[in-house]
Amino acid sequence: MSKKVLNVEDDVDITTFVSTVVEENGYIPIVAKDGEEGMRKVREERPDLIILDILMPRESGIKMYHELKMDPSLKDIPVVMLSAVSKRTFLRSQAALTEFGDETVPEPQEYLEKPVEPGDLAEIVKKILG
Amino acid sequence: MSKLLIIDDEEGIRKVLSISLANDGYDVSVAAGGEEGIEIFKKESPSIILTDIKMPGMDGVEALKQIKKLNPDAEVIMITGHGDMDSAIEALKLDASDFLNKPIKDEALSVALKRAEERITMKKKLEAYTYDLENMVRMATEEVKRRSDFQNKLITSSNDAVIAADEKGDIIIYNGGAERIFGYPRVEIIRKMNIDKLYPPAIVAEFRSGLKRRGDADLSKWKEVAIVAKDGGVVPARFSGSILYGEDEVIGSVGFFQDLREIKRLQEELIKSERLTATGQTVAGLAHYIKNILNGLKGGTYVLNVALGKNDRGKIRSGWTMIERNVGRISDLVLNLLAYSKERKPEPEDCFPNEIVEDVCALMELKARENNIEIERDLDPLIGEVFIDPKAIHRSLLNLVSNAIDACIFDPTANKHWRVKISTAVEENHLIRFEVTDNGIGMDKETKGRIFSAPFSTKGERGSGLGLLVTEKIIREIEGEISVESEPGKGTTFIICLPYQEALKNVKGL
Repeated sequence: MSKKVLNVEDDVDITTFVSTVVEENGYIPIVAKDGEEGMRKVREERPDLIILDILMPRESGIKMYHELKMDPSLKDIPVVMLSAVSKRTFLRSQAALTEFGDETVPEPQEYLEKPVEPGDLAEIVKKILG
Repeated sequence: MSKLLIIDDEEGIRKVLSISLANDGYDVSVAAGGEEGIEIFKKESPSIILTDIKMPGMDGVEALKQIKKLNPDAEVIMITGHGDMDSAIEALKLDASDFLNKPIKDEALSVALKRAEERITMKKKLEAYTYDLENMVRMATEEVKRRSDFQNKLITSSNDAVIAADEKGDIIIYNGGAERIFGYPRVEIIRKMNIDKLYPPAIVAEFRSGLKRRGDADLSKWKEVAIVAKDGGVVPARFSGSILYGEDEVIGSVGFFQDLREIKRLQEELIKSERLTATGQTVAGLAHYIKNILNGLKGGTYVLNVALGKNDRGKIRSGWTMIERNVGRISDLVLNLLAYSKERKPEPEDCFPNEIVEDVCALMELKARENNIEIERDLDPLIGEVFIDPKAIHRSLLNLVSNAIDACIFDPTANKHWRVKISTAVEENHLIRFEVTDNGIGMDKETKGRIFSAPFSTKGERGSGLGLLVTEKIIREIEGEISVESEPGKGTTFIICLPYQEALKNVKGL
C-alpha cells in the first residue's frame, strides 16, 4: 500500500503544489490547513511523513512540532519543515519552549526554506520514505 | 622739621631772628644778600623764606622772583621797612606770602609763620587730594574702558547677529555674526543704513510701533524669520529683539538673529536619510511579497504541466486557479502601489453608500464563510443617495473588511464565534460614519502605532503592508478621517468619517 504524506499548510497554493509533487512520486497526499486540523489528521490517518509549515493561523507549526515530538506514539513520524522562516529562528523557538519546562525535542528530519523546487522536494520525500 | 631761610643784610636782624626761630624748632639758614640767598635756596630748598626787601645787590623783590621761579610753592615772607610800599605791592604781584614790618614783633612773626605753615600743609594736602583724584579718575576711566571693551568683545565675538540702532533706526552696532547672516560688510551698515532697509518688513513694522510708543511691541519671543541677504539669497534665522529705553524715552533698539542654515540643512539631511531608509524597507518588504507571488505562479505552472501531461481535468483546474489567484494578487498589488504613489483626484458622484457596503460584503462573503466567520451589517436607513466618492469608499472598505477577516483567521483562540460587522450612520455636519469591527486577534499598542506610518504587515509574506497605507491616503484625499481602536485578544474597530454633499439630482430638482 502507498505511503501517506500529510501536508500541514494554510496556503492553498502550497498544498496544491506539495500534493502534486507527492502524488507524482507515488505517495498519497493528505492536507490540513492548520495545526489543530493537522494533529487530528495525524491521529486519524497515521501518515508516514509530515511536511509542516510554521506560520499558520490558530495553531502554529512551532507548537504542532513540539506536540508531535512530545507524544511517544507520534514522535517517530519523520517531519520535514517547509517554511519561509529560517531554520535558525525555528530552532531558537523550540529552545524557547524548553525554557517553560518542556523537554528538549530532537531537530526535524529535514528543513526546507520556501520556495522549494519540485525536484528537491521529491528527492527528500523519497530519501525518507524509500 | 621745616627748613627756613633768612635773607637780610643786617647782621643783627639775622642773628636775632635765627636764634629765635631755631628755638622755635626751625632748621634755619641765613644769607646776607639776594645772591647768597638764591644759592642757599638751591642747596637747601627751604619751605619758608624770610627776606628783607631793601638790600644791596640783589634786592628782596628780585630774590622773590627767582625763588618763585625755582619753586612756586615756596612761602616767601617779605620784611618791609618804612617807605617800601611800592616794592611791597610789586612783591604781592609776584606771589609773596606775607609781610612783616620792621621792627619785627614776635607776635607778628609767629602769626606769619603759622599762616605760612598752614598754607604749606594745605598745599600738601591739596597735592595729595589732587593726586588721589587723578588716580581715581584714571582708575575709573580704565574700569569704564575695560567694561566697554568687554561688552564690545561680547558683541563682536557672538556667533549670533547683534544689531543695535538709535531711536531713528540708524544702525550703530553690527557685529560679525550680522555680517555672516545679512551679507553686508560693517562699513556699508554702521551709520549708513537704517533698520527699515535691513530687516524683513514684518519686523520693521513691529520695531516701528515699539519705537513710537512704549510697550506697543513685544519682540522678546523667538520666532523664525526669512532674511533677504545682500546677494538676494534668503537666510532662515531665529529672531528676538528689544526696544531700549532710557529714563523715559526710547533710545534705540536691538535685534538678535541666529543663523538657522546649518540646522535646516541637518534637518533636511535627516529627513532625506529617513526617507531613504523607509524606501529601502518598503522595497525589501515588497520584493519579498512579490517573490512569494512568483513562487505561487511557478508552483501553478508546475501543477498545470503535470496535470496536462496526464490530462487530469481536476488538477488542471487547481493549477489554473493557482495561477489566477496569484495574477489577482499581483494586479491588486500594482493597483495599491499606483494608489499609494500617485495623487488621486476625488471622483464624487451620486451614489448609495449602503449599497457599496453590500457590494463589499458580497465580495468577501466566500472567504469569510470558508473560515467560519460571520459578516454582519448594521446600516443606517437614513442614508440615501448622496454625492460622494464611491470608488474611494469601495477600496477602503474592501481593505478594512479583508483585514478584519484576516484578524479573525489569525486569532489563535479555539472555537470562537468570529464576527466582522460593518455599520454606517449619518452624523452631524454632513458626515457619514463607517465602522468595521472584528472580534479577532486585536493589536497591541506598538502594532497600532505603526499601521499608518510605513508599509507594514503582520501577515508575513502574505501581506504587502500597503493596504492600510493606501486606505489612509485615499481617505485623506477625500478629506475624511480614519481612526482605530484595538485591544489584543478582543478585536479591532476601524472608523472612517467622510464628508458628503446632497445628491446633485436632488439639488437640481429644487
